[in-house]
Amino acid sequence: MTDTKTWARVKSPWVLHFNSGACNGCDIEIVALLTPKYDVERFGIKLEPSPRHADVLLVTGCVTQQCAERLKRVYDQMPQPKFVVAIGACACSGGVFAGNYNTLGGVDKVIPVTAYIPGCPPRPEAIIDGVVKLLNAINPPKQKKAVEA
Amino acid sequence: MIDLILIFRILVFPGFTFILFLTLFCDWVERKLEARIQNRVGPMVAGPGGILQPLADFIKLLTKEDIEPRGVKKAVFRFAPMVAFSIMVFAMCFLPIDGASVLSSGGFSGDLIVILAFATIANFLLFMAGWASANPYGTIGSARVLTQFLGYDIPLYLLALTPAFLVGSLSVFEIAGAAWPAIILAPWAFVLFIITLQAELEKDPFDVPHSESEVVGGLETEYTGAKLAFLHLTRDVQVVFGSALVVTLFLGGANGPMIAGLEWLLQPIYFVIKLLIVVVISEYITTVVARLRIDQVLTGNWKILLPAAIISLMITVALVTWVYNPLSIGV
Amino acid sequence: MASNIDMISLLQSKFGEKIQIQPGVSGTASIVANNGLHHDVLAEMIAADEKTGIVAMTGLDFGQTLGVYYHVRTAKPFFTIKAEVPKADPKIRSVVDIHPGARFHELEVTDLFGVVFVGNEYDGHFVLSENWPDGVYPLRKDVDPTKVKLVPTPEREANLPAEGRQVKIIIGPQHPALLEPEKFSVTVDGETVTKVEPRIGYVHRGIEKSTESRTYLQDIYLVERVCGICNPAHAYGFVGAVEKILKPDVPERARYLRVIALELNRLHSHLLVLGHAGLEIGYETVFQYFWRDREPIMDLIELTSGNRVYGSLITVGGVRRDITAEQIPKIKSVLNDLRGKIPFYRKIYLDEPTIRLRMKEVGILSREDALKLSVVGPIARGSGVDIDVRKDIPYEAYGEIPFKEIVYPDGDVWARMNVRMDEVEESLNILDYALDHLPSGPIRVDVARSVPVGEAVCSLEAPRGELFYFVKSNGTDMPERVKIRTPTFANIPSFLKTAIGESIADIPSNFVSLDPCFSCTDR
Repeated sequence: MTDTKTWARVKSPWVLHFNSGACNGCDIEIVALLTPKYDVERFGIKLEPSPRHADVLLVTGCVTQQCAERLKRVYDQMPQPKFVVAIGACACSGGVFAGNYNTLGGVDKVIPVTAYIPGCPPRPEAIIDGVVKLLNAINPPKQKKAVEA
Repeated sequence: MIDLILIFRILVFPGFTFILFLTLFCDWVERKLEARIQNRVGPMVAGPGGILQPLADFIKLLTKEDIEPRGVKKAVFRFAPMVAFSIMVFAMCFLPIDGASVLSSGGFSGDLIVILAFATIANFLLFMAGWASANPYGTIGSARVLTQFLGYDIPLYLLALTPAFLVGSLSVFEIAGAAWPAIILAPWAFVLFIITLQAELEKDPFDVPHSESEVVGGLETEYTGAKLAFLHLTRDVQVVFGSALVVTLFLGGANGPMIAGLEWLLQPIYFVIKLLIVVVISEYITTVVARLRIDQVLTGNWKILLPAAIISLMITVALVTWVYNPLSIGV
Repeated sequence: MASNIDMISLLQSKFGEKIQIQPGVSGTASIVANNGLHHDVLAEMIAADEKTGIVAMTGLDFGQTLGVYYHVRTAKPFFTIKAEVPKADPKIRSVVDIHPGARFHELEVTDLFGVVFVGNEYDGHFVLSENWPDGVYPLRKDVDPTKVKLVPTPEREANLPAEGRQVKIIIGPQHPALLEPEKFSVTVDGETVTKVEPRIGYVHRGIEKSTESRTYLQDIYLVERVCGICNPAHAYGFVGAVEKILKPDVPERARYLRVIALELNRLHSHLLVLGHAGLEIGYETVFQYFWRDREPIMDLIELTSGNRVYGSLITVGGVRRDITAEQIPKIKSVLNDLRGKIPFYRKIYLDEPTIRLRMKEVGILSREDALKLSVVGPIARGSGVDIDVRKDIPYEAYGEIPFKEIVYPDGDVWARMNVRMDEVEESLNILDYALDHLPSGPIRVDVARSVPVGEAVCSLEAPRGELFYFVKSNGTDMPERVKIRTPTFANIPSFLKTAIGESIADIPSNFVSLDPCFSCTDR
């Protein structure tokens, strides 16, 4: 049973994109993932409109004061199990905007982050690589399975 | 012994299990076709050619946390998706997938009306599901579902009567078994039916209830986990059901060149092949047009499709009375 | 059409000694008009030239006084009207009564500098976040924004009915139709929109303030990150303004290479929005096709600048990277591929029936309104206003390159998208010409790190319309004040106007026709 469950989760990661004050660079690269050259539907990745449907939250941007509360709400609305991927230098650490008066600097100041994809902006290939690494991490190690059985 | 066969027919083939997997398969065909038209490859990783993708999505959703937001109407919110799905599968069981109805081999006269009624009830349950979810987008999305199917049900019923008139019976079994399928005797009705079905199934250019840019997730917005899985599945079964209806009414059901002794195998194969053709046509239309606006969708129904359906029915009646019957074509 | 000398002599004859003219400062000339005269000067200029519009308003902190600069565009020349108010009582007369397009500019100055515009007051914050304390203005020099104590966020606005049958729908800040977080409260009567109120500032990162604590070189990289889509335009806007103070001798080849960078950027940005519009109206195939053909352009940007998105190609004194002779045929073959696909795409946008149903007669902006709201770029050109900075005030090599200015008179969404469609083809022509006529020589000259005291404006035609930069230097290696006015900021008022009276279902397609970019708007 656990095997099937993990298989389904790894093969069907639905993502929600949240822009927390990004410059559009990362956001456009995320949208580009859906298009013919990168086509992440290959991996079963689907961009979902509602946080309720999503498994993975892709956050871009340096988290402005105005967005922080909203980001938390969106994260809370997602059903378990859920994962957060911080995409871009801003989402990882605040990037060039770190220390500005209206930014918090980094997604992990607000919600727990599972994976960081640095870059300004990261190339689409890098984002795919990051998400695939995350999926591999979801696959529970063999010992854990033994405990459950 | 007979009971065992009936149970097998209901649960396994051509009943529940077969319909479930056929639905998932059609979903894959749709996604793959859409991707190919759009110059992408579509699902690739789950199973060969990504064929298991819909199954993976389904299982994943079943294992997700099931959130029940505050303010929802609990009973409706919990059961509407499941009940809608069951009703759609039940309606499918009346269609002659392997040449006979799942429940009783010959069906009964007038079952066409029952099937259409089931489809409407399922749609209504979907509307209730969205309405109960206490979310403005869910409410707007489901209100759009309601306006749309209330409008388009009328031309759909009228057009579904065309083959019935040609055969002179309201039994799907007899309509499917007609010597001359309705697509040959009334091709215009087939075209109109496909367009109406596109609206009834809420696919482009009529997919206003699912317009992400206007209503986010539509009636599904607040749903998670298993309920969402069944809402998705209901939509997919609706697509299969709509296509199966076209096959039954217009394309001669499971009929085709037969080899004696192999009917049990060939009939479902013919049915599925015809069904896939309809699915492909429908998906092709979806990919090559833009979405209309809600008011354009409604005007399109009341000003164009409904009159066209009435005229189509009148032409059919006239043809049946003065041309087909004297030449004994059709029955 | 009022020419350069006309306007100045006209103003001098009208106002005489009450105003001071500073020729050649911040545009063609600066006009110092204190004591409420700025209003009359502007009224006079609007009467003299119908294309007069406020491009931007800059607030400045002079210590004891606050400055308000009105950057005014006329048919050709560019003026700056300067006014000052005492910091103790910062009240100045609003100009929205003669030029409605100034409303947002004034609100922004109010929020960031605390200047009160009499006749255009605003309660609450415009770009700052809700938890920012009242009475603290981050862009004033005496405020250290990092030490500001934030107040708790006030109650959220509820989805309450406005009055009677009217219902208030809140779109955003997280909504699939908006790639970026921004909030619009739409009041509807049935399906008809009666009011749209924006709440911007979700992407406000305080870039203008942080430019003041970084060197000019660092600032180039910072201002590029105002917007991830039109970043070469931002780099050029800043560099152009700095170069007007420094006056380096930019080599010919660099001027052509800058044009190539800017046009490649326009190409990818237009393809992006033409595809994105398809997504908004449920035409996913169009989206996929346009974005498929955008990828080779991204590869060209990478080839010429070294990175897909942030190339940082343009720098003070020239460009950072050269295009080699071997690269030119490769670039041209990619451009030719795209040129071959244009007829197909043009047919889709001109004739496809469902696109016409969704875009024709939607979001109509008349020529008069376009002028009054001083909209820019494809929005203005779609409404029959022939403004294009590349033609009006040619910068870099644009004066030497022949190209057509695309104008559609219809003023609807369809016209705006077709302006962009035609501009894609013009961009290809410009690129071909620039590659054929690329002069030889060096690509950059060395410039001083510190910039002498001065001020300059630079405006250019970014993909979304006129982008405006104002730079004031103080003799050090860091600027005193940088003002960025982005095209979307100027275009949003037109959306607020055209959405009213139309179906709520038209909002996505109307909105996307602005090619909105909020990271630009909020900075």
